[in-house]
Amino acid sequence: MPLDTSTTYPLTKLRLDGRRWNELRLLQAQISTNPASSGSSYLAMGNTTIMCSVHGPAEGRRGDATGGAAGSSGAVVEVDVNVAGFAGVDRKRRAGGSDKQSSRIATTLRAAFQSHLHTYLYPHSTISIHVSVLSADGSLLAAAINACTLALVDAGIPMPGLLCGCTAGMSGSASTPRDPRNDELDPLLDLSLPEEQELPFLTVGTTTSVPVGENAMDDDEEDMKVSMLNMDSKVHCTYVETMLAVGIDGCNQIREILEGVIKGSNKLR
Amino acid sequence: MAAQRQASSASQTPHISPAELSYLYTSLALPGSPIRPDGRSATQFRPLTAETDILPGTNGSARVGFADGTQAIVGVKAEVEKTVVSADALKLPQQTQEEYVGNNDGEANQGSSSGHGSWVQMSIEIPGFRDDDALPVFLSEMMREPLVESVSSEGSGNGEMTGGLKGRLVINKRWHWRLYIDVLLLSQPQSYPLPLLSLTTHLALLSTKLPKLKSKGEEDPFFDDDWDAAEYLYPRSTSTASATPSQQVRPPVTLLVVSVGENIIFDPDREEIAVADTVLAVSITRDSDSDNLKLVSIRTIDPPSRLTQPGVPNSENVTTLGSTAAAEEAAILNPSTGEEEVPGVWRPRRGGVKRSTVARIVKLVLEKGGVGEEVLEGLEGVQVG
Repeated sequence: MPLDTSTTYPLTKLRLDGRRWNELRLLQAQISTNPASSGSSYLAMGNTTIMCSVHGPAEGRRGDATGGAAGSSGAVVEVDVNVAGFAGVDRKRRAGGSDKQSSRIATTLRAAFQSHLHTYLYPHSTISIHVSVLSADGSLLAAAINACTLALVDAGIPMPGLLCGCTAGMSGSASTPRDPRNDELDPLLDLSLPEEQELPFLTVGTTTSVPVGENAMDDDEEDMKVSMLNMDSKVHCTYVETMLAVGIDGCNQIREILEGVIKGSNKLR
Repeated sequence: MAAQRQASSASQTPHISPAELSYLYTSLALPGSPIRPDGRSATQFRPLTAETDILPGTNGSARVGFADGTQAIVGVKAEVEKTVVSADALKLPQQTQEEYVGNNDGEANQGSSSGHGSWVQMSIEIPGFRDDDALPVFLSEMMREPLVESVSSEGSGNGEMTGGLKGRLVINKRWHWRLYIDVLLLSQPQSYPLPLLSLTTHLALLSTKLPKLKSKGEEDPFFDDDWDAAEYLYPRSTSTASATPSQQVRPPVTLLVVSVGENIIFDPDREEIAVADTVLAVSITRDSDSDNLKLVSIRTIDPPSRLTQPGVPNSENVTTLGSTAAAEEAAILNPSTGEEEVPGVWRPRRGGVKRSTVARIVKLVLEKGGVGEEVLEGLEGVQVG
C-alpha cells in the first residue's frame, strides 16, 4: 500500500489523515444521553464512536457466578463490551457470543475501573457498565475508557479523579535500538485504525492522584498517575519512554476536554 | 428457569400485587373508554425522539428513543455478493419460490426480479441476553419475515420495487446485494421491545442508500463512487413521479396491540401489558398501487398476565372467613372470558382472544385515518437525508 504512514511520514511529517505527530483527533462527548440508565455517555474520537451506559450501584443478581460472598468489601464492577456488526468497514459476522477483541477490552476496563473507583462505599452491590462500539476506527480501548469515565461521573459514582485513556505509537516499526544521533522516528499521538494496524502502539490511562496533606494547596502542578498501560505490539524498549511521555501528554489534553464536557452539561436532576 | 421463562414471555413482569393488577385491569376494561395509568387515550402513542443517518460508516442508520428511556440504534450495511445459481434453479425459477406461499407474484419472479429472503440478515443485541437466546432470535425473525415477505402487488407503476425488498436487492442474474440489519438496544428493555426495534428498523431502512450502479445488464457490477449519487433502497418521491410519498413502497412497521376485556389499547406500557388478555404484534405496510394499508402479519405474543399471582377472595381467605364482608361478594361471569370472577380479585388471564376483537384491531389499524396511517405518516415526517 503506497499510502501508509511509515513511508509517507518521513517525507511530509504529516500523517494519513493530515495530523501532525502530537495532534489528537476531534473529540466530542456528551453525558446523560440515555435516561433509562444511572449514567450514560456518548463519545466520538475521530471516527471511533462509543456509547456507554452505567447501571447501579445496585444489588447484584442472585445466583450469580461470583456468589453471595463476592463484593462484601466493596462493589463489583461488571463490564460488557459489544462491538456492533456495522462498526467496521466490512460487516463483521460473529459466531455467537462475543469475540476476542471485545472480551479483551472488557477485561481491561473491568480491571482498570475496579481499582479506580471508590468501590468500598458500596458493599454487596454491582456496578454494571455496558459499552457499545458504534463505529470503530482505532484507539478503541482508549475511547472506551474515556466513555466509561464520563458515564460513571454521570452516574455519580465517586472516584479520585478522571481516568483518561490515550494511545501513542511510533512512526516506524521501531524494532532496533534507538540511535540518539540519528533519530528519524517520531512518536505519534492518538492512532487511527490504519495506523494501528501497521505501527507499534500502546494505550495508557492516567488519573490525577488525590491531593493530600501539603500538596493539597498547590494547584499549579497536577500530579499524574499512570493507572493502566496496555501494549499488544512489539517495540524496542528504548522507545517506550518516548511513547509513554507522549501518551501521558495526550491523556492530559483529553482530561481537559472531558472536564469541559462535564462542567458544560448543566443537567437538572 | 424463572429467568428463562420471563425472557420468552412478553416482558419481564413488573412486581405488581394482585390488588393492583385487578385495579389496573378494571380501569382498562371499562366499557367504551379505558382509563390508562398515564391518561392517554386508547389509540394514543407515547412521545418518542428519532433521528436518522447518525453513523457515517453504514448504508443507513437510525436512533429512536422511547419515552420510558429505552433507546435503540439500527445500522444497515449492504454487501455485494455472488448469487449462487444451481442449474436446476435456472430452469425452474418457480420452484425456488414455492416456499413463499402467499406470494401472489409467482409469474413476476422470473429473471431479474426474483430474490431470496435469506439475503436479508437481521441480528438483535439486547444487553443481558446472548445472541442465541430465545428473545433476540424470536424478535429478529418476527421483524425479518414481514420485511422480506411484503411484496408490492403486480402491475404497480413503480417498476423499481417489483418483487418488494427481495427484488430490489437483485443487481443482475449473477450478483445481488446482501443486507445486514444490526439492531442494538442500548439498555435493558423496560417493556416488550418489539415496537421500538421495529420503528427504528423502519427508519434505518428508509435512510438506507445503495451506491449507483454504473455497469449495465449482466456485467460484473461496477458502482459510482460518488456517495451523493447513491440511490435510496426504498425510492423516495421525486418531482417527476406522480406518486405522493404516501403511495410508495415502505418497509413494514410492527405495532404492539393489547386487548383488555372488550377494549383495544395501542402502544401499551409495561403495566398495561402485565394485565392484558392478549398481546398481538400487527405488521402493516403501505400498498403501492392503492392508497390503503396492507396487513402483513398478526402474531400473538405470550401474555405475561398468565404468570401473575392470583388474588384470594375474602370468601376463601382463612383470615376473613365468616366476616360480614365475605357475604357481600358474589361471583359474576366475566363477559370477555366467560369465567366466574369475584370483582376486585385478580385472576391470572388464560389468554385467548375473540375473533371479533381481532377484527376490530385490524380495522382500527388499517382504516383510513386510523392508527397505522398515523404512525407511518409520523415516521415519514422524520427528516431523512
